[in-house]
Amino acid sequence: MTPVDVFVPFHKGLPPLRKYWRTLWERRAFITEYSRSELHEQHYDSVFGQIWLILNPLLLSAVYFILIVIIGGHSDKVRYAHLTACLFLFYLVANTLTGGVKSVTSGQRLILNTAFPRIMLPISATVIAIFRFIPTILIFAILRTVLGLPVGWELLWAIPIVVITIVFALGLAILISCINVYFRDIANFLPYLTRTFLYLSPVLWEASDLKPKLQTIEMINPLFPILDSWSRTVVHAQQPHLSSMLIASAWALLLFIFGTYFFLSREREFAVRV
Amino acid sequence: MSNTVHTSGEIAVSVQHLGLTYTTTIDRRPTLKSRLKSMGRGTKQTQVIRALDDIMLDVPYGSVLGVVGANGAGKSTLMRVISGILPPSQGRVEVYGKVSTLLALGVGFSPSLSGRANVRLGGLAAGMSRQEIEDHFEEIADFAELGDSIDAPMRTYSSGMYARLAFSVAVTVRPDILIVDEALSTGDARFKEKSLEKIKELRSDARALILVSHALGTVKDICNEVAWLHKGKLIQRGKPDEVVDAYADFLHVRKSAVIDEDI
Ligand SMILES: Nc1ncnc2c1ncn2[C@@H]1O[C@H](COP(=O)(O)OP(=O)(O)OP(=O)(O)O)[C@@H](O)[C@H]1O
Ligand SMILES: [Mg+2]
Repeated sequence: MTPVDVFVPFHKGLPPLRKYWRTLWERRAFITEYSRSELHEQHYDSVFGQIWLILNPLLLSAVYFILIVIIGGHSDKVRYAHLTACLFLFYLVANTLTGGVKSVTSGQRLILNTAFPRIMLPISATVIAIFRFIPTILIFAILRTVLGLPVGWELLWAIPIVVITIVFALGLAILISCINVYFRDIANFLPYLTRTFLYLSPVLWEASDLKPKLQTIEMINPLFPILDSWSRTVVHAQQPHLSSMLIASAWALLLFIFGTYFFLSREREFAVRV
Repeated sequence: MSNTVHTSGEIAVSVQHLGLTYTTTIDRRPTLKSRLKSMGRGTKQTQVIRALDDIMLDVPYGSVLGVVGANGAGKSTLMRVISGILPPSQGRVEVYGKVSTLLALGVGFSPSLSGRANVRLGGLAAGMSRQEIEDHFEEIADFAELGDSIDAPMRTYSSGMYARLAFSVAVTVRPDILIVDEALSTGDARFKEKSLEKIKELRSDARALILVSHALGTVKDICNEVAWLHKGKLIQRGKPDEVVDAYADFLHVRKSAVIDEDI
């Protein structure tokens, strides 16, 4: 008779990937159920929750728009649309990070008592952030209709851009949730980190505003090509630059692969660390 | 959980030369700040604890293995290795069936969610299907006797209520191999009796039970075999009466009544 499970000391490096994937796939219902329960808990399925979900990003973009008007940037309707659209996509990444960073450490009880692929936890955090992003797409669709922005088939580019953003955010969440096991104060630095990236990204300003001297920002900030392509597409209904799309995809894939490798090679010791 | 029928005597769990070391940071909470601070001074950050050392153990189907030992002997650690939560540092563990530990379903994972949601989530994480969980839910809720509290957030539960729910989940899902790690000590007398009945009932089925307990009376009563761990080593295993008596002698509490109380 063959054993159902054999537990032996693990070697540094990745666990058997095929088996890992299979156990992860078997538990996909956990990810949906967990996201649903969390959203329910945050009252996103009640009327007031829905209203708040729509009001919150609108208020946020209104506040930043006031800021832009005061510091004297462009303040026409296109700028407002740009700000809103980019803010929404930026918050998809930021929410994934804030939800993801503690996903492993707060799942302590589950980790200590159940054998399961730990990567389910940051994935669930990402799914929750995606669910919170969906209503903002609808708001923006209404907004751009009201503002009379151009419409065209180029808008379809939004789909690959969102996919790239999700892969990027997922990679980040996986990486940072793992780092947080070893350094529990990472979560405290996170607000500063996201704030910095918000200002270094073409959200409050447009990519074309960037002074030549500051062009290195474009190179080091992975969100730059993502948000630039996003704005071109959903605000101006133009085709994004191919180079931006390629750079963005490269960043996203790299981060996802690196984060996953880092996580998988360490997750077996989480139970003695959390 | 599994449909294979095991015949009594067939091996369920085989533990071979198992060793486990914990490496922990001395700080309770590892932080970047403390790491940076200690880097300057070059102090060592980690501590190595040898929790299990060269353990050999077989558990056949149709038997109940009791595990006794002082606090910190490594009993819970051994159970975590058998259920696949902790990877061994040395040796090998073979498991011939589906394991469920008393707390294995991770119940209470998210304190802000209801008991119901936690049972679902814990079951899904352990690899059960939605259907399996729905099929068992009534039974779990009935056995736990939590009434309407099942829909209250778990942070409002008392430790006894926690233990009730966890026990109900573990015994209701009908695992091939059930591990009970003394989590009943918080239940009230009636629930304790009820769970003892349940364990006896499960014993008659073709499954393997591992019972970790400080209640030597209970261990003698329901186990076919007892293993005594001390400081990570297997000191003795054999007939319940012999091992328990040896252990009690070791503790010098043989005459005392306290040892018979809990499960
Ligand atoms: N997560 C952990 N990190 C580091 N050391 C641990 C951890 N868990 C347990 N230990 C250590 O391992 C040893 C065995 O602990 P374990 O919990 O297995 O004991 P036990 O036999 O279950 O004790 P008790 O009867 O109190 O439940 C102890 O010395 C303990 O300090
Ligand atoms: Mg213990």
